[in-house]
Amino acid sequence: MRYFLSRLGLFALTAWAAITLNFLLPRLMPGSPADAAIARLAQNGPVDPATRAAIEAQLGVPTGGLLAQYWDYLGNVLTLDFGVSYTFFPASVASLVGSALPFTLVLVGLVTVAAFVIGTLIGVLAAWRRGSALDALPTLSGSFLAAFPYFWTALLLLFFLGYTFQLFPTSGAYSPYTTPGLNGPFLADAVAHAVLPAVTILLTSLGGWILGMRNAMIGTLGDDYVTFAEANGLRSRTVALRYAARNAILPNLTGFGLALGGVVGGSLLVERVFAYPGVGYLLFNAVTNQDFPLMQALFLMITLSVLVANFVVDTLYGILDPRTRR
Amino acid sequence: MSPTRTSTRRGRLATATGLGLAATLVVSGCTGAQAPQGAEGAEGGGQGEGTMLFAGDAGSPTFTRNFNPYNSTNRKGAFHIYEPLTVLNTVDGESTPFLASSVEQVDAQTVVFTLREDATWTDGEPFTADDVTFTFDLLREHPALDLDGVWQRLESVEADGTQVTMRFAQPDVPATDIIGGTVIVPEHLWADVEDPVSFANEEPVGTGPFALGDFGPNQYTLVKNQEYWQADAVAADELVIPASNEQLDLVNNGYDWAYAFIEDVEGTWVSANEGNTYWFPPGGTISLLPNLTQAPFDDVDFRRGLSLALDREAVADAAASGYTDAAPQSGLILPGQQELLDEEVPDEGRVAQDADAALEAFAAAGYTQEGGQLVGPDGQQATIAITTANGYTDWLRGVQEVQRQLQALGIAVTIEQPQPAAYQQAVDNGDFQLAMGGFGGTGSFYRDMNQLLNSEFAEPVGTTAASNYQRFSDPEVDELLGRYQAAVDPAEQEELAGELQQVMYDQVPVIAMYYGGLWGLFSDAKFTGWPSEEDPYATPITYDSNVLLIDTNLERAGS
Repeated sequence: MRYFLSRLGLFALTAWAAITLNFLLPRLMPGSPADAAIARLAQNGPVDPATRAAIEAQLGVPTGGLLAQYWDYLGNVLTLDFGVSYTFFPASVASLVGSALPFTLVLVGLVTVAAFVIGTLIGVLAAWRRGSALDALPTLSGSFLAAFPYFWTALLLLFFLGYTFQLFPTSGAYSPYTTPGLNGPFLADAVAHAVLPAVTILLTSLGGWILGMRNAMIGTLGDDYVTFAEANGLRSRTVALRYAARNAILPNLTGFGLALGGVVGGSLLVERVFAYPGVGYLLFNAVTNQDFPLMQALFLMITLSVLVANFVVDTLYGILDPRTRR
Repeated sequence: MSPTRTSTRRGRLATATGLGLAATLVVSGCTGAQAPQGAEGAEGGGQGEGTMLFAGDAGSPTFTRNFNPYNSTNRKGAFHIYEPLTVLNTVDGESTPFLASSVEQVDAQTVVFTLREDATWTDGEPFTADDVTFTFDLLREHPALDLDGVWQRLESVEADGTQVTMRFAQPDVPATDIIGGTVIVPEHLWADVEDPVSFANEEPVGTGPFALGDFGPNQYTLVKNQEYWQADAVAADELVIPASNEQLDLVNNGYDWAYAFIEDVEGTWVSANEGNTYWFPPGGTISLLPNLTQAPFDDVDFRRGLSLALDREAVADAAASGYTDAAPQSGLILPGQQELLDEEVPDEGRVAQDADAALEAFAAAGYTQEGGQLVGPDGQQATIAITTANGYTDWLRGVQEVQRQLQALGIAVTIEQPQPAAYQQAVDNGDFQLAMGGFGGTGSFYRDMNQLLNSEFAEPVGTTAASNYQRFSDPEVDELLGRYQAAVDPAEQEELAGELQQVMYDQVPVIAMYYGGLWGLFSDAKFTGWPSEEDPYATPITYDSNVLLIDTNLERAGS
């Protein structure tokens, strides 16, 4: 019990630190929201000197000192009221996050789970048959693909499958002629739009799971209890899955927990390349436009979910592995 | 740990894995089934003959529903829905009346707009002078809506029948076009809006050629207003405006009208579909702003040296892929402002690269070449930091070319690239040595020069300036600008424009380099009569009332 209580205390402390940093960091960036808006307008043409005053009035320059702002901000965090976005004025931050989150959760969430499951199983297989072609092929291609930058894989897929062969749509999450909702045409359309981004994330993240699982499992395969199990004449599948793999999966499970926590952050580069309306793209807009309210909400959501995932993994560890409790 | 708990744990783990597998199967199953339909996106939206596929509003990546014409974050479709009194063509500075039927400049401080009597709002209500006075009152009460600063110029707005008389705070002839460009909203709908600043105006009702059709986050349509007072002049029945206009989409989807910078326009846009054309007119001058509060940039000889050291054609080619030309030092945008050209400014204001003359000018400023380095009076090599915004690759390529050329004369040049907002802050506060920046393109040479040179905007370093970032200050120039502002007679305007060109040429308050382009991509397949070099009746711009000029000038192809 003390273990869990201390974990909980640590969690509360890190959460407060994250919330506070989340308030401070955007304010340390040079340039104000009005500067960002003027810079954006100036790219399109001449900006009248009067425009600056109008924009500052429109966005509402933060009032009061830093401490008063911090106090207001803490209140907003507790009530989950993040106000109005600067970039998409006068849309509320809540509505923007609400419309981006489902796309990211489904796309990045499903792909993360799939990559973990597939990658881990391949890793088990590779370690069991180490040295054979079943080991060399996934290990080599996995490390090869993992070394590719996300956006480069994305651009290649976009160019060949989207543009040259026109097999998949090149951008967006669904086409304009469908109505979002639980209806067949929309779902089919959304899946067609999700294929390229999903394949990109899958290809680039699979390698990590394969290698992690394979290497951990090779370690456990050399352990005495595995040799003992084999010597006792247990079926090799039983030895591989129930003895070696179960012990080897711990590091991968930690990684998986953290990856799940990171899902709400979306996949910025992939979403950007495919113009996919998820949280990553929203974050990109918020940062490039000094959109403090939107940035705060997103960073908070991301840090908190990573913290929660971390806490859950920590707790799970306490249950799975009695040694960690001491 | 008890045996039961162990088994529960195993059970959970197995279930989780099972769920994951099932999810994987669902994903891959759907993928297989849907793959053949993927190419559907390539067909785009332009089905009907009168339907125009229009990349004139970029979602990032989707649209938020906001048709408030006074928000800078609005849907640009609002400019096809609402009309101003007059629309200025910034290419040649000519105005076209829209909700006004005529404009009379009574004197330098008074203008009378006579309103059109046949205009109606799309909900059937007639358009009247009350709507105009209401709109101006709205902007006075809410400075946050007054993006063009009309109330910094106006004193009063009075209506009498169909005549609206505007009095300016001071003699201010160029204010007429700015005030005439104010988009008019209906009093009967806007009078009840509680907070017009954060009003998203989801159901816009305007007087213009189009009304809002369907709206979705990925696309919206504008349908022709059949009751429009010049409905005959509008060729398109419907504008389809998708949110995503990535460059691949532009080339793939067969747009009729798009606005985008695109590399290798001949090889991409033009070759993509038959009838695709483009027009990239100059929309402003990209220049190096010297910080005039700092040595050596406060020395006109040093600035002249920099100006003479540059091969502007090479900078233009590097920065704008050869789409736009080198700009004259006079500040004029040619050929649009050709008639203002002052004959006493040599060679139409163009400054050719001349290393010897540059070194002479630097010598006059106290900088001489020693062992391949340009050395100042303090015995140190001249070093210059050029500030540009991160991510503006066209500017960066231009700056790199400038760096190369200046280094050839022995000046050490570094490049600083803060993020756009930080760049803007540095420029606003005078925290730079040389900065990339644009000027001009308002359609009025007076406004171009006033924003660039009027000492009224030259805030001290450390204080935010909204214009005149280089902090130029000269009482004689202020006086010239004041006379230009009050000049009603075109001949006098021309003469004063000439004197300002001389100032630009002789004093080098900024180093003009090349024209920034406006990137109009058109297709003649369904509609013809796009603005072009031969017929520059409008710019290709899609994000302001300029679109009304194009909406009412197109014709169906083959008609």
